[in-house]
Amino acid sequence: MLKKFKENHENGTTHFILTDAKGVVLESNQTLFKLCTGAPVGTLHPFFFSIPEIMATVRETTSFHCVQLGSGDDNLTADIEVYKKKENTILIVVHDLTKHYLSYQAMAQSRNESLIDSELILLKNHELQERERFKNEFIQNFSHELRNPLTNIIALTNILKRTDLTSEQMRILSILKDSTSNLKLMLEDILSISMIAKGKLMLNPGVFNFPQLVDFLKLTYNTRAKEKELVFSITADEKIPEYLEGDRLRLLQVLTNLCDNAVKYTKKGSIALHIALNQKRANTVNLRFGVKDTGAGIPQESLDTIFESFEQLGPTEGVGLGLAIVKGLLTLMDTDIKIDSTAGKGSHFYFDVNLTYPLHQPEVPVLKERSKKMKPKRKKTSKYKVLLVEDDEQVQAALFKILIDTGDFYIDVVSDGALVMEEIVNNSYDIVLMDVNLPNISGDQLVKVIRGFPFKNIKKIPIIGVTANSYQADKNSYLKMGMNAVLSKPFEEDELLKTISRLLKKNSR
Amino acid sequence: MIRRFVENSFSEHYTVSIGVHILKKVVEIDPNNSVSLILWDLEGTDDLDHIRESYLLGSHGIIYVFDVSRPTTFQNIHQDLATLDRKAKDVPVKVVGNKVDLVDLSEVTEILENHTISFDYLASAKTGGKVNELFEQLAKMLASDAEEI
Repeated sequence: MLKKFKENHENGTTHFILTDAKGVVLESNQTLFKLCTGAPVGTLHPFFFSIPEIMATVRETTSFHCVQLGSGDDNLTADIEVYKKKENTILIVVHDLTKHYLSYQAMAQSRNESLIDSELILLKNHELQERERFKNEFIQNFSHELRNPLTNIIALTNILKRTDLTSEQMRILSILKDSTSNLKLMLEDILSISMIAKGKLMLNPGVFNFPQLVDFLKLTYNTRAKEKELVFSITADEKIPEYLEGDRLRLLQVLTNLCDNAVKYTKKGSIALHIALNQKRANTVNLRFGVKDTGAGIPQESLDTIFESFEQLGPTEGVGLGLAIVKGLLTLMDTDIKIDSTAGKGSHFYFDVNLTYPLHQPEVPVLKERSKKMKPKRKKTSKYKVLLVEDDEQVQAALFKILIDTGDFYIDVVSDGALVMEEIVNNSYDIVLMDVNLPNISGDQLVKVIRGFPFKNIKKIPIIGVTANSYQADKNSYLKMGMNAVLSKPFEEDELLKTISRLLKKNSR
Repeated sequence: MIRRFVENSFSEHYTVSIGVHILKKVVEIDPNNSVSLILWDLEGTDDLDHIRESYLLGSHGIIYVFDVSRPTTFQNIHQDLATLDRKAKDVPVKVVGNKVDLVDLSEVTEILENHTISFDYLASAKTGGKVNELFEQLAKMLASDAEEI
């Protein structure tokens, strides 16, 4: 210990100052500073200015670590010990530890910088999440607001189609119908992406016929490709079991989005969908789905952003949600999309997915598509009585026209939820068509009241809910409350009439 | 912030303070009186319980500075002020939010209100906003306290 003190002393790293109680220098060894006897120690550095006052409150000794005593470029960092000595004197021992603290400073600087960086990243992340939440909420509200007018356009287009039209008017109407169909698809895409982002989308696995899914894609994209003079082909491994278990709808949504994109960005050449069996074990298969095109390809710098919502390569139709939906759905399926692409040569999107399959393949009868338009079977003696509850006047008019044109219904219309019960009690309706979002009392609340009514003829009335809210979870909750069916706006005339027909038929049994 | 007050300078190159820097400035509190402020600039810490107690010995006032652009620097403010009250009993504390030049003032005020954080000044060492007012007000307060004693 003494040796070290001696070394320090001899090497000039420790300075001793003796002062009186007021801080006047009595002795100084001049190692680090030049101090004159009789000078106030506070003149050396502001640190020493406080020493006499501090020592008045201290019993024997105190110490100060890492005190910066330098000024400007003259760097001196010291640990300082202060002792009360006999005869009211103060001994100040200054240890020059500049070298030691320089390395500590570098460490503290780096630690602090990384701390600030990680905080900034967290803040940025929080801000991005807020923006994403706002975007999703906006999209959801916006798409919700579009559903009423779109329902109207679709209904009125169908009605118009049944009137006497010239061939030119028919051609314009056909364009109008195509446009509304596109708009409807975009709305469905927006709904899907908003559900994925909010974590509300759940997979709904079930057994499905795999060759039927392949046939559906073949039929759809053969036609679409031919329209653009492209060649479309599908190859599927024959060893893939006929029946698979998974969410057919979402798998189809992924594949149609990939094929849609391929058609959209390919001007000439071919599009190939290939489905390979990677592995088959116990009751699980691992399949590779790939869509390869000879289209525009994707520049390297865009590969990271193409899976973000509303990202598109150049001006094309659509809103740029397809690949974001693909990525979101595949994440739900515990897999990810991969891509090989060369700008100007084409792209290859592919993913591997695990699906299960029933060990005993079921003999499920193939359902044939019914081509005939469903119409409610009319009672021979009278028409059906329908209560139409809808507050949007235009949707109300469109639905009224659809129903009245069938010649099968008497229709009463109510636009206020508070008036519904009075109508139902005073009339005997065969079916109620009810908007969910109504003024005063909402449609779902009305259903609960109707289902709790003591009279069987009222309690059992078939009710079709009509809603601009397309979340499956919400539709399920309306069904749970007692609605017999729920239609999401916008819907096609056929869908409405088929649903009415089904419920009337069921109720007449 | 102390450098802005004492030397009227600011460096974009941020150097972390370690230990304690001590600076002196004479502040004129009225045409006939001035006060010598000895300012001890202590290194920042996540937990004031770990601060060396000798640094607080003999202090007449404390300025507690947080960074308004980094919520982690004011999330423990109530706890820190309680610690200061315990470690430096009866020493007045001024609470100051620094770096207001980096944020939207109304947004920050709302956030601080939501956290029930009361402050004396929102300042900027970079622009100098409210820095002189802070130290001058503190000097006046300390001088007036000394007169009362």
